Amino acid sequence: MNWQTDLIQISGFFYKIWLITKKRTYHIFEILFWPAIGLVSVGLLTRFLSLSSEMVAFILIGVIALSVVQIGQLDMSYLILYSIWNKSLKHEMAAPVGVSHIIVGTWTMGVVHSVLVFALLSFFSERAFGFRFVDAGLLPLILFFLGLSLTSAVVGILVCALAFRFGGRSHVAANSVVSVLALLSGIYYPVSVLPDPVRAVSVIIPLTYFLEYFRSFFGFAPSGAHPLLTGYALVLAYLILACLALAYSIHHSQKSGIILRMSE
Amino acid sequence: MESSSERDLPGSKTGMHPAVEIRGIEKIYPSTGRTASIHALKGIDLTIERGTIFCVLGPNGAGKTTLISILAGLILPDAGEGRIWGLNLLKQRRRIRAVVNFASGQANLPDNFTSDEILNYFGMLYGLPKKERRRKTEELIVFFELDRHRKVPFNQLSTGLKQRLALAKSLVNDPAILFLDEPTGRLDPAVAQLIRSRLIQWRKVHDTTIILTTHQMDEADQLSDRIAFLKEGRIIRVGGADDLKQSIAFQQRLIIEGRNLDGPARIIEELEGFAIVEAEEGRLICRMDSGVDSLNSILEKLLTAGAVLENLEVTKPTLGDVFIELANRSDSD
Repeated sequence: MNWQTDLIQISGFFYKIWLITKKRTYHIFEILFWPAIGLVSVGLLTRFLSLSSEMVAFILIGVIALSVVQIGQLDMSYLILYSIWNKSLKHEMAAPVGVSHIIVGTWTMGVVHSVLVFALLSFFSERAFGFRFVDAGLLPLILFFLGLSLTSAVVGILVCALAFRFGGRSHVAANSVVSVLALLSGIYYPVSVLPDPVRAVSVIIPLTYFLEYFRSFFGFAPSGAHPLLTGYALVLAYLILACLALAYSIHHSQKSGIILRMSE
Repeated sequence: MESSSERDLPGSKTGMHPAVEIRGIEKIYPSTGRTASIHALKGIDLTIERGTIFCVLGPNGAGKTTLISILAGLILPDAGEGRIWGLNLLKQRRRIRAVVNFASGQANLPDNFTSDEILNYFGMLYGLPKKERRRKTEELIVFFELDRHRKVPFNQLSTGLKQRLALAKSLVNDPAILFLDEPTGRLDPAVAQLIRSRLIQWRKVHDTTIILTTHQMDEADQLSDRIAFLKEGRIIRVGGADDLKQSIAFQQRLIIEGRNLDGPARIIEELEGFAIVEAEEGRLICRMDSGVDSLNSILEKLLTAGAVLENLEVTKPTLGDVFIELANRSDSD
């Protein structure tokens, strides 16, 4: 196998997600419609509550971050779930592809979709609620976005790992993991308001630190000294663990024969 | 082309390795809580030469799909070793997957993708460059007569067209070994015959080794160079179709049609070397262990017993007879 072949195989998974997006209206809704509805609803709530511009920034950063993570992971999750629903998984796994092809191919499309959502929601938030993301500066914005995208990769890979273990039922995880992250990482509030045992969990979630980092540019002091470094260290560690979990799940599905049952 | 270069590596078509060489392959599916564990393969030894069409026959649950799935690199064996196209079955599975391909009778491919998109997608998974993918897609679309349906989503194709597309997909990387799991099982005879003829044609041109499972005995007879009979996870017989037919206990099949056959039926059952395998109103199908010479004596007994004969037919055993005999044979036989 050479790198050109690897590139073609990676683009194969990118191509599949692109076809799914193009052909499934529901997927387009998930990517664009619901995040926009979420942002407008929460934005209007901040107006109703007459929140200060800083508090509006605090909330909208959370809303957009949540959408980016959710959309980024959906593409990865759907690659495997769609194959399971179509019972075509064994044909794809019979090809000479590995975990890295699946992850890079789907994550790349996840990033493309996330950029689209990020741009759309940023435009909305500026026009409708006067909040400008770019005020934090281009580099912090890129670092924040990259952190969110890596977080979405961790979630997406974990859902894929669950799918190889538990089949189509794992779609529940695709929809609920991000909601749990929203609860624990302080999407709509600072984690300091969480009860102590829950806060202990929030400190091991990278999203907590990426939010603290970006909100620091809008007047909210982070709880630790290096939120960005901590966030990246955690997300990279989880990324490695998630890849190992996916590799193990694929191995287990081949050892136990689940992969055949999922294709019948 | 990547797949071609892989084919040239350890086991090129001019190389010395057989297409498949496995020893002591075992597979146990673990208990799932609701089902007990299943010992699907119990020490399979098998050698398949290059360029042959090799058929695996056996009753349901014999382990055919498991065997073919292990050989195609889809699932892992629990014990044993082997080489596929000269590559280590356990350590070089990705490289094996690059030189083989797979299709099954359950043609499940991405639902709303068209034929063009499916072939393009799988071409990418096998690492074919764009030009090569286009050429291959055209070749396979024409070869399997899918031209009029190339823009139709998979879930709107008929069963026969789906199966043709699944086979086209399985040839997208020009595989050295093609694994087919009951490829015509759900098809009407005309489409099944079309697919068989295409496979023969493809093998002639590309010298592809084809390994298939089937329940269609005529298909096995028509296609196979060699056949293995699998039962309860073990290979109990390997050979050419003619060898297998000669290897079973009976030599002839006698079909008697007429009236008043009930009495004669009892007489036949008592004769040594004769057995009734099927009896219905006005028709008996018997197996004869002896040759045609003993026909005279049986005819005499039939007429003496009052049978009115309308038709008599003596035929050679079929592969179906071999299947029934081997499937019904107890382990101690």
